[in-house]
Amino acid sequence: MKLPILTIIMTTIFTGTMLTMISSHWLLIWIGLEINMLSIIPILTKNQKPRSTEAATKYFLTQATASMLLMFTIVFNAMHSGQWTTTNIDPNNMIVSLTMIIALTMKLGMTPFHFWVPEVTQGVSLMTGMLLLTWQKLAPISIMMQMFTSINPIILLLIALMSVLVGGWGGLNQTQLRKILAYSSIAHMGWMMAILTFCPSLTMLNLLIYLMLTIIMFTMLNMNTNMTTLTLSNLWNKSPTITMMILISLLSLGGLPPLTGFLPKWIIIQELTKNNNIAMATVMAIMALLNLYFYMRLIYSTSLTLFPTPNNIKMKWQFQPKKRSLFLSPLIILSTLTLPLSPVLSTLN
Amino acid sequence: MVYAIFLLSIILVLGFMSFSSKPSPIYGGVGLIISGAVGCSIIMGFGVSFMGLMVFLIYLGGMLVVFGYTTAMATEEYPETWGSSIVIWGALLSGILMESLLMVWLLEHDGMEVAVGFNNLESWIMFMDKGFSIIREDSLGVSALYNYVNWFMVAAGWALFVSVLIVIEVIRGK
Repeated sequence: MKLPILTIIMTTIFTGTMLTMISSHWLLIWIGLEINMLSIIPILTKNQKPRSTEAATKYFLTQATASMLLMFTIVFNAMHSGQWTTTNIDPNNMIVSLTMIIALTMKLGMTPFHFWVPEVTQGVSLMTGMLLLTWQKLAPISIMMQMFTSINPIILLLIALMSVLVGGWGGLNQTQLRKILAYSSIAHMGWMMAILTFCPSLTMLNLLIYLMLTIIMFTMLNMNTNMTTLTLSNLWNKSPTITMMILISLLSLGGLPPLTGFLPKWIIIQELTKNNNIAMATVMAIMALLNLYFYMRLIYSTSLTLFPTPNNIKMKWQFQPKKRSLFLSPLIILSTLTLPLSPVLSTLN
Repeated sequence: MVYAIFLLSIILVLGFMSFSSKPSPIYGGVGLIISGAVGCSIIMGFGVSFMGLMVFLIYLGGMLVVFGYTTAMATEEYPETWGSSIVIWGALLSGILMESLLMVWLLEHDGMEVAVGFNNLESWIMFMDKGFSIIREDSLGVSALYNYVNWFMVAAGWALFVSVLIVIEVIRGK
């Protein structure tokens, strides 16, 4: 794609999300979401392959349906409450609270509207998939954080629980790395939304740590263009440092204790138990084990074992890597080693 | 002619049905023209004359004409019309069925207030301490776009420009 057009489109993606995040009038929020959705379509079809076109079509259809449902809810809310602010939705209005949740979780890719996430992520390139799984989550989550007092908690907890289940079970049979990261995204969205009605600061915390981890995973996979587990198993020879970094980043993504990824899970379980939601916390913690299993399978084939290879692969002659990766080291450190900073959370409101 | 707006709203829904049942675009264009024109007449009947005239001129007279010309250039050899496939028949019949049920509810069970109960679309007259002012929502809204919400005008213009750019970029091909 030519550089001026790419610049315009990237600027518009940024503008759309920013417009959604700074508005308090529902119409402007919807306009920001639409601008965002429309301008990411050419990014999805940048590859010019039929699979990318199919992925862009699926993305467009689901997001357009969600926007339509959101518009219906906005107009219904305006009709019944007479005002257009985000923070004053009446929680007793059952249609509004239900369809609002359905529209926003459809935008995020949570169960039962998760079917597009693995297929769209698989159909596009690694960096585009990263954009899809990180930047596109910001706008709907910012809307949900503005209106969290009016959300029906039962529906949201049900959707979050189902997302964690589907994210865990769905990723088990995958060897394609983009689909694994897509199911990981579904599960993490489930964790984020489970705590929204109780303490939205924790949603923000989980979102930040998830964003850092996903960006670092996609960047490291992009350095050698690894798309499958099979190519990952040859990574020990090509760049052993990336192998080690993938190990600790995947363990952090799975939520293992001395790493940063443990922090959101720990504190979400604590908040859930404080609100007497022990069953939900238990089920989500057990389902996180499924996530950890397929990350462990990746680590097993990448760093912990060496698959049998012919002898000429073992001595690899390599030139300097050409792919630039911004912020690789700071992001790795932030996403794996900042668990000792967790008391800082007591200073947040 | 007491039921003028009600009858026009029925024609509006039927016009929407004629393109929602997805015939070939040139037939859908006909449905768009009819429903656009009738929609303009409905809101003009409620008193919002400026908006109706704007939609008539710019939407029907500008955008739909361009749309009609482009679909005439891109038409296919055997276009699907309203009676040609079972899918379109099904969509049409289900739409007409739902519209008749709605009509029955509006007429027999006293639901007209929902359909035609808009009574604040004309001008507002504010009586203040000294004097009064007349506020028309439609035309004052457009002028507010130029002075109170300048930035939104820029954002809306940018969004329109970018959507054309995106469409051209997506169909560019290799």
